Amino acid sequence: MATHEFFVDMTCEGCSGAVTRVLKKIDVKFDIDLPNKKVFIESDKDSDVLLETLKKTGKTVTYIGTK
Amino acid sequence: MMAQSGGLCSVTLTVEGMTCGSCVQTIEQQIGGLSGVIHIEVSLEQKNATVIFDPASHSPESLADAIEDMGFESDVTN
Repeated sequence: MATHEFFVDMTCEGCSGAVTRVLKKIDVKFDIDLPNKKVFIESDKDSDVLLETLKKTGKTVTYIGTK
Repeated sequence: MMAQSGGLCSVTLTVEGMTCGSCVQTIEQQIGGLSGVIHIEVSLEQKNATVIFDPASHSPESLADAIEDMGFESDVTN
């Protein structure tokens, strides 16, 4: 299980709440660091799949790498 | 002369989960960018969104789904 790290331009709880809901729909373990605008996802899924899911929130998302 | 494409519909959807102006802006940009959506107005205070759309390409449900896809909860009101 790789831990993928993403930058997601979240500015408030509403935004992190939206990220939480979209990630809940694809059933992955994740952790959101709002102050640093980071999202960590622990999953076997391909990072592109995770990237697309995060992009659904309409926020700017960049893939940083695996930890 | 605005081309009349069989008349436009407007619907008001509830939107739960927004807490600040940037959520409103994100939704307006994303949903407003959909083809067939003519106009969208999101209200943080009333927690709803009024959308004017071309019924040929969208329905109240498909618009609510699009908002839910973004991670907010949305339902058709009227």
